[in-house]
Amino acid sequence: MSQLVLPVVLPLLAAFLLQPLSRVSGLAGRALGPLTLVLCAWITARLWLDFGGAPFSVAIGGFIPPLGIVFYADHLAFLFALAVPLFALLFWPELGDKGGGPGTDPNREARRDALVLLLVAATTGLALSGDLFNIYVFYELAAVASFGLVSLTGTARAQVATLRYLLISAFGSVLALVGISILYLQTGTLNLAQLSQLAPYTLQGPLGLAAFALMVIGFGVKAELFPLNTWVPEVYATAPARVAALLAGLVSKLAVLVVVRLLVLVFQQPEASQLLLVLGVLGVVTGELAAWRARDFPRMIAFSSIGQLGIVFIAFSIGGDIGLLAGIAVALHHLLVKSAFFGLAARWNGSLEGLAGAGRRAPLAAGLFVLFALSLIGVPPLLGFWTKILVLVGLAQGGAPLQLFALAAVLLATAVEANYLFRVALRLYGRADRPPAPPARWDLGAAAVLGVVLIGVSLAISPAADHLRQVARQAGDVALYVDTVFPKTLAGRD
Amino acid sequence: MIPLSFETIVYVGAIGLVVIGALGLVLCRHLFRMVLALVLAESGANLLLVLSGYRGGAIAPIIGFGTPGAPMVDPIPQVLVLTAIVIGVGVQALAVAVLVRVYRAYGTLDMVDLRNRMELEIAGAAGIAAPSSAQEPAGGRPLPPVPAFRRAGAVGRES
Repeated sequence: MSQLVLPVVLPLLAAFLLQPLSRVSGLAGRALGPLTLVLCAWITARLWLDFGGAPFSVAIGGFIPPLGIVFYADHLAFLFALAVPLFALLFWPELGDKGGGPGTDPNREARRDALVLLLVAATTGLALSGDLFNIYVFYELAAVASFGLVSLTGTARAQVATLRYLLISAFGSVLALVGISILYLQTGTLNLAQLSQLAPYTLQGPLGLAAFALMVIGFGVKAELFPLNTWVPEVYATAPARVAALLAGLVSKLAVLVVVRLLVLVFQQPEASQLLLVLGVLGVVTGELAAWRARDFPRMIAFSSIGQLGIVFIAFSIGGDIGLLAGIAVALHHLLVKSAFFGLAARWNGSLEGLAGAGRRAPLAAGLFVLFALSLIGVPPLLGFWTKILVLVGLAQGGAPLQLFALAAVLLATAVEANYLFRVALRLYGRADRPPAPPARWDLGAAAVLGVVLIGVSLAISPAADHLRQVARQAGDVALYVDTVFPKTLAGRD
Repeated sequence: MIPLSFETIVYVGAIGLVVIGALGLVLCRHLFRMVLALVLAESGANLLLVLSGYRGGAIAPIIGFGTPGAPMVDPIPQVLVLTAIVIGVGVQALAVAVLVRVYRAYGTLDMVDLRNRMELEIAGAAGIAAPSSAQEPAGGRPLPPVPAFRRAGAVGRES
């Protein structure tokens, strides 16, 4: 069970070993990162298969919670902890790249790989940690690693984008830290399980709500939540495409997971859900309209990602098992689709007009784009339809005026989405004198793998939904979380 | 009326620092001032975190220090704030490093100017016309032009 720390520790270790190792042997340096990721994925998958459905917790260093830091593993945590190394592997900067070219500097490559490994360790930590301050530290680690990755291209515009991203993100962290201080002031603990025990007595008032608002906005920076998301388009337009894929697909989902844990465990008052709903609606409307106006492919999908994450937050604001189910489903769907889009955007990084005729030169890539676009819009047999219908049904069942308004916003966003995505699809199959270069083989392969997963899940929607319902039910069970972290007898201590 | 105790003043000061930092980030155009505003906001947050473990008249939480049995302040926020300070310093150092690179590339640290130039460069790299800026009057329609193949008449009437 204590192997649970390995998916966090191994990438950290590898990240710091990478640079000395790459000086000794270039090949070993290049292989270390992917091997570590494969090992992490294998460890996580084996633990997930072994644990048999009952969540467990690991007290780090044997210090019993609430004083010690605790890692908590349930289906949801495993799901995301497994997604992290797999997606990092799919979008590993060097794979499929003709490495070792004349212009590449092995030291630079080693530094870049180290940053990706740090990002992997931090995001895995976010998935597993059960202590708020520990989550804050992992969040900062992920932030710093992503600053480095975003500025990788070395262009001047990437530096400006990095600096703006850094300022916004650091300000978000300050807000989150203030929220954490308020929580500690009110409860005297930062252990999520203990917080959930104390929350009904100490965090009901406006102060608790203020803490939630601060933490949601703070942790929401990475999740592209409404007020602090102006960094999104410029960063995704200037960062390397695979980094953008990791940030938009993976890192945003882990930030969402943090917010969800807070919402489920600590802040169960209706005002907290309403706040999330309002921010989500604002994100959907602004994101989709901006995407409709965007004229280049990377920024179009960046804005669209803001809109999609708005839907994720709307879904989680519904509350209860159905809200969790809908939210997890939309988040996973977005993880698949948006990662694939950014993979395709590696070569298709120009204007939308410049994409004309790409479908004739790269039929598979264009076909995949259409498949993902259809799923994102929510065309019936595909996965996207089921995720969207879950959200809509949840909102309709809630029936409060604000929720009905959100429902209308989601439907409107779908229409806008359909408009701009079809516009691109039409261009892809248009005629042009100078079609853009087809996507690189590895990026195309990654998108194809994600496409196969999408079709597979769409075909097996019924068992997949059953599994996901189980995941959601377990994630929403507060008593189970508390009982797991604080077992009745100390015999369960690892 | 809340009695104006020492604690209240420090609380107000800590929150005030965060507010000043937030205002500075929003209102300043100069990037270095924005970094300084961030530093202020971070110190405010750190102060607030330390205060959350404060007890009036208590001593430092070190065993064997002071009279045994005397009240001690909560040590956990102090440990947390050490971590937060270290993280903050790291991020600020990174910000200044990127700032130097930006200045070397553009020769200015004016946020609005830099942002406009970045947008222009992004648009230029993507091969599209420059985006409409807040300083210029809006003109033209927001929709991109009709795709080339429609103009050529390869496809029939628009449905």
